[in-house]
Amino acid sequence: MKKIYISLFALSCYFISGCSNDFLDVDQTESVSTKDIELFNNDAGAATFVTSIYSKFLDYNMSSFSWNGVTSIASDDADKGSSPGDTGTDKDVMDALTYNPSSLSIVEIFSANYEAINRCNQAINIIPQLDKADANLRARLIGEAKFLRAFMYFTLVKTYGGVPIIDRLPNPSSQEDRIMQLARKSKEEVYAFIEKDLTEAALVLLDKSQYPNSEKGRASKGAAYALLAKVNLYQKNWQKVIDNCNLVTGYSIVPNYASMFRLAGENDAESIFEIQGTGQGVGSATIKGIQNYSVSQGARGAGGWGWGFNTPSESLLNAYEAGDVRKNATIIFAGTTLYDDRVVPLTVENPRYNYKAYSSAIPDADQSDTNIKYLRYADVLLMKAEALNELNQTTVAIPLLNEIRTRAGLANTTATSQAAVRIAIWKERRVELAFEHDRFYDLVRTGQAVAAFAIHGKTFVAGKHEVFPIPQIFINESAGLSNQNPGY
Amino acid sequence: MRNFIFSFLALIMLPAYMSGQVIKGKLVDPTGMGIPGASVVAVDSKTSTDTDFDGNFSINAKVGEIIKFSMIGFDAISVPATANLMTVTLKESEDTALKEVIIIGYGTRKKIDNTSAITSIKADEVSKMKVLNASQAIQGKAAGVQVISSDLPGSAPSVIIRGLGTALGGRTPLYIVDGMPTDNINNINTNDITSYEILKDASSLAIYGTRAANGVIIISTKKGKGNEVSIEIETFAGFRSPLKTVKMAGSNKYAHYSNDALQTTTFSQDQPVNTDWFDAITRTGVYTQNNISVSGSSENIKYFFSVGNYEEKAILNGLDFSRTTFRSNNEFKISKKLTLNQNLSFGTTKSAPKPLDAFTNAYKQSPIIPVRFSNGQYGVSFVGANGFAGPAGSSFNNVGNPVAQLDYFNEQQRSIILQGGLKLDYEIFDSLKFTSQFNGEYYSWKNYNYEDSKAIWETNNNPGQLSTIIYPADRNINVLTKGRSQYFNWNLSNYLTYNKVFAEIHDLEVTAGIESSVRGPREELRIARRNVNANANYWSLANVDYGGTVLSYNDAVFNENKIASYFGRFQYKLKDRYLLTGTLRRDGSSNFGREYRWGTFPAIGLGWIVSKENFLTDVKALNLLKLRGSWGKLGNQNVPLNNQAYSIAGNNTYLGGSILFDGTTINSQIDPSLSWEVTEEASIGLDFELLNNKLKGSFDVYDKSTNNVILNTRPLITSGISNSSPAHVGEVSNKGYEIALRWDDKVNDNVSYWIGGNFSNNTNELTKINNAILAPRTGGDLLNGQFTKILDNTSVGKPLGSFFMYEYAGFDATNGNKLYFDATGNKVTQDALNASTDKRYVGSILPTSTYGVTLGVNYKNIDLSVDGYGTSGAKVYNGKKAQRFSGENIENSLATDFWSSNNTTATTPAPFNQVPVASTYYMESGDFFRINNISLGYKIPLEGMFVNTCRIYVNAINPFITQKFSGFSPELNGDGDPYGSQGIELNAYPALRSIVIGANLKF
Repeated sequence: MKKIYISLFALSCYFISGCSNDFLDVDQTESVSTKDIELFNNDAGAATFVTSIYSKFLDYNMSSFSWNGVTSIASDDADKGSSPGDTGTDKDVMDALTYNPSSLSIVEIFSANYEAINRCNQAINIIPQLDKADANLRARLIGEAKFLRAFMYFTLVKTYGGVPIIDRLPNPSSQEDRIMQLARKSKEEVYAFIEKDLTEAALVLLDKSQYPNSEKGRASKGAAYALLAKVNLYQKNWQKVIDNCNLVTGYSIVPNYASMFRLAGENDAESIFEIQGTGQGVGSATIKGIQNYSVSQGARGAGGWGWGFNTPSESLLNAYEAGDVRKNATIIFAGTTLYDDRVVPLTVENPRYNYKAYSSAIPDADQSDTNIKYLRYADVLLMKAEALNELNQTTVAIPLLNEIRTRAGLANTTATSQAAVRIAIWKERRVELAFEHDRFYDLVRTGQAVAAFAIHGKTFVAGKHEVFPIPQIFINESAGLSNQNPGY
Repeated sequence: MRNFIFSFLALIMLPAYMSGQVIKGKLVDPTGMGIPGASVVAVDSKTSTDTDFDGNFSINAKVGEIIKFSMIGFDAISVPATANLMTVTLKESEDTALKEVIIIGYGTRKKIDNTSAITSIKADEVSKMKVLNASQAIQGKAAGVQVISSDLPGSAPSVIIRGLGTALGGRTPLYIVDGMPTDNINNINTNDITSYEILKDASSLAIYGTRAANGVIIISTKKGKGNEVSIEIETFAGFRSPLKTVKMAGSNKYAHYSNDALQTTTFSQDQPVNTDWFDAITRTGVYTQNNISVSGSSENIKYFFSVGNYEEKAILNGLDFSRTTFRSNNEFKISKKLTLNQNLSFGTTKSAPKPLDAFTNAYKQSPIIPVRFSNGQYGVSFVGANGFAGPAGSSFNNVGNPVAQLDYFNEQQRSIILQGGLKLDYEIFDSLKFTSQFNGEYYSWKNYNYEDSKAIWETNNNPGQLSTIIYPADRNINVLTKGRSQYFNWNLSNYLTYNKVFAEIHDLEVTAGIESSVRGPREELRIARRNVNANANYWSLANVDYGGTVLSYNDAVFNENKIASYFGRFQYKLKDRYLLTGTLRRDGSSNFGREYRWGTFPAIGLGWIVSKENFLTDVKALNLLKLRGSWGKLGNQNVPLNNQAYSIAGNNTYLGGSILFDGTTINSQIDPSLSWEVTEEASIGLDFELLNNKLKGSFDVYDKSTNNVILNTRPLITSGISNSSPAHVGEVSNKGYEIALRWDDKVNDNVSYWIGGNFSNNTNELTKINNAILAPRTGGDLLNGQFTKILDNTSVGKPLGSFFMYEYAGFDATNGNKLYFDATGNKVTQDALNASTDKRYVGSILPTSTYGVTLGVNYKNIDLSVDGYGTSGAKVYNGKKAQRFSGENIENSLATDFWSSNNTTATTPAPFNQVPVASTYYMESGDFFRINNISLGYKIPLEGMFVNTCRIYVNAINPFITQKFSGFSPELNGDGDPYGSQGIELNAYPALRSIVIGANLKF
């Protein structure tokens, strides 16, 4: 005790000599300080910054309930579903196109994508500092981050029009960075930024075949070109669509359409980029799936297993030609038996449910094992066909369309004129890609929205509904630096 | 000024001067020392003077005329003037208040010379309160100090001094126990305390710098005194029961109400069972305390040793608590110049806690359910076809059996706290003293909690013990959770005190020192395991690897906190009446970034003992009048920290296979300039004593503002940062006044009495939010999806801890549905409300006024005292009532008069099944006044016996309360957080009434 006392007294006197700042330097113990970047200065450490971006896809606000609200329930492919009294917070207004700038789905998709963009920017900022990690790996990881950043901006620009471009980590006290975060850029500027990121990413990414089986979820060279083609498609740069589609190699159409949406079909030969949900049952919070993605779309009511939202619409049902195998692969009908022998009784609340979100093993789990197909080769073929047709190469386009139809169990298309083939491709896109979060944007892109929504029984106001409102929370923050989309 | 007064007095007294002669003499104290500065007044001649520095005086007066001599600290005396040189002796005043010494930071000061607002409470004022926690004992005793206590054994009360100045930071005052800064005083036996000093204003607090903004309570424990060994034994035993209960509906009323709510005839109107669940989970509480202390002193040693034991069997079935404390305080006079003080305290607690939501479940559970069904199983909410509760049928609510809940809850906690210190005082020379003090504190805590998961499931799901209902094989049979936590803190201060009187009138004291304080890392370990041996003996076997059964494993070491400080204080007294105190503290805190960790906290205090001025010496009734004023800055370093960290947990993902990949990112935006909150306070006060010191009082006014309150701001949405980031953006103001009065009188040798009281008023307001978007802090969770409080940008202009909810607008007379005001003032039903526009601020949990009263009489050997405490202006929320919905019980008053088609003139709305929104329907006034304590004692005359004194006593603790609140208790500390469950009666422990019998013996 006495010794301690003397030494403490000495320590106390030590202050007088002015060294107390060292005394006050305390190492953080409850969380890993950002000062200790050296902990991540290796291959595995560098990779963690990119993994966190992929992880964002699994969050509830990113790819689940709100995402369905914006891309599916709002479209003519789906209805809100569920019980009439259960609005799912705002899914009723999403369905009716009567949403407003504070509707939760609209706010969540905006904020979730910017959260993911922050993770991209963190990775792009930090990984170059990790000089002990392999240089090629670092380049590839930055490529993945850029692909993913482009992915988020593509979602944002399709959904909201021009948005602020955050291309670096903002300094909270910089006025310039403040403006960067609050002033909307034009749609064209956003597309240019996306193309730049994708072009840079494509140069350094690996082919899908080069990734080990445990990492098939990573962005690949093919994914970058496929996404670039789609970005070109939205800007009607037809030749670029064809060029980039031609660069998507090593993929093929799988013979069985339905197989793609089952566990065995995850990351199959047709898959270019998909979100990897690998949850493991009820109560297993540490193992992540796409949160509530399956259960929120599962059959509701007696004999069901889910919340019953996002149900296939009458309009979609009518879009399938007779004999199209895709109908029964896309839609669960009440009163039928599923591929895994699960009986869906007639007592469930809605007549139809989304089959593509169904998890056989753990249908009622919060963290399900279902993946979301974001880009697949069928989409690439249809994009290429559409571009060829637009460039008056209709005869070259038709076989591509027929390849898709054949797999669906349908006869070759009867369309021959450029205009008829255009309509045929658009229709094919709908039934091929139903419930893959493409339809709403496709309707807007192709200008079919007003007519399609009329059939669906909803009113699509031209000049307004092409984009969703910018969240009010952002408009308030911007204090005049950004304006709301027209009509909202 | 003083010269002017002198000249003026001289001028008007000129005629008297002309007619008298010069009387000379000397004024001395009983030891023969001259008394300087005393007042000398010749009554008839109307002349006056002061004694000089040796006590000499000369005054113009006539021989034989009465001359009055007075001096603070001495009894005044009147003697006839003589022509000879007079020698007058003044006796020291019996009134000890003037000589009373109070403890200030790093020193002591005579109370009269103190310039600051310090409430000093002596042990005998609080020792009559038979409470466990030291801070509960001061409730109602000090103006400006709000103590929100709970009768839950082992709980720590919330103490708020002069209003709440922070929203997210630490709110509790700094406790200094014998020089050791600590935030845990649960281990201190109130019987060991000799004084509490509550430092309230900037002048007194600034010496504690960055930890002072919430006030400081200095607790001093006893030391030995007297020449003989003295032994004191204190023992009491008491019984406890709820001060107030809530009458619930009986079975038939419940059935009637529930049938109406469900529009069915599910429940029979003639129920065979009528369970009072509150009765079923409670018992008469019993508590006892025994203390023994040995103390004394000899020439070179003062010693004090005590042992205390407290045991309580609480009113909630199975809830037990016990505490044992040891204390040893010794002072060694090593040489004439060197004194060593040593103190050591050891406290250990053992408790078997029980879940307090049993109170809520007892409130909500239906009376038609028996505690146990006839088959011996616990009663649960199944109703059969006969309309009675039984082991078969359909479930009618989600409330468990509260008795089963308590029986199944199996937890034990033990803690040890060890505090010790050494203090060395060395007199370097006459007026210069060096003090070095080291204190350390070690805390260790452990618990276990055993959950019999399968049995609980069987109780709730299979009361009929059917063989067809099988516990799922993949579930845990049981779960054992064990926790450990510990810390070690130490504090070292070294300071010099210089005290000298210059030229007889300049009394100077300077203190300067350095301090280092380390709040060691809190270590916490928690492991949950499944399927342990059913026999508790075999939970922890040697040589067994439990790895495979671990459900969760948490091992946390929280950041260490260090403070390095320099401090200085200058106290100056001129002519014994003009006082000046200047204080400066410079603190460096490890909590903040290198460039922002040092802060300086100045304060200044002024005092004027007006009653020592000559022009007031004639005012006989006035014994003391002192004016005080102070200004200063204080810090609160216990704020959300700015350690930027990598987000690691929760980012794990799969990238296609079965391998889990780690994810890392940064999801926080940090302001590197974050540092402590600074509170600036200006206050003035006055102290007075009138009518032979019988009436004493003080009055204080203060204005405190914290202009850099840390609030959680929401980063811009496009920044993609989802964690809120703390920033200095708020301003909080506290303005108030305090009055304390006390009358003491001794009627004759047999009878004396006192009556006193204090009142304080505080206005709290969040005055401003500077250019920031706050991340809304919703609080006051009702645990049913409803929240009752908010702190966001709309909270400006409101007090902290404000309730935010829908306003109830009565019910629809046509159908009995509850209605609420929407934003435009229309009355709408629950379903038509808009959560973002229709809620309103409807009051705060913070009271605007608190008051305390005390009175007492001593008649011969009998003493009687009464203490009371009250608050007003606070709102409380009846959370348990607000949680009630379909199939749950209701209060009797609701069940007897509710709207129905047969009773359209009822005073309460129609029965309902849905979860009610949080509204003012369940908000009530928190005003209350409670008699905290009535104590009646008798000192048995034992002259010549070996027992010196023996006092036996009866106490009634909380015998009466007047309250507006319809629940159990309006004093609701909850989790102590104004944005948490504070002010909400949900899962709350009721206030208790206790009757205590005890004895105090001294040998």
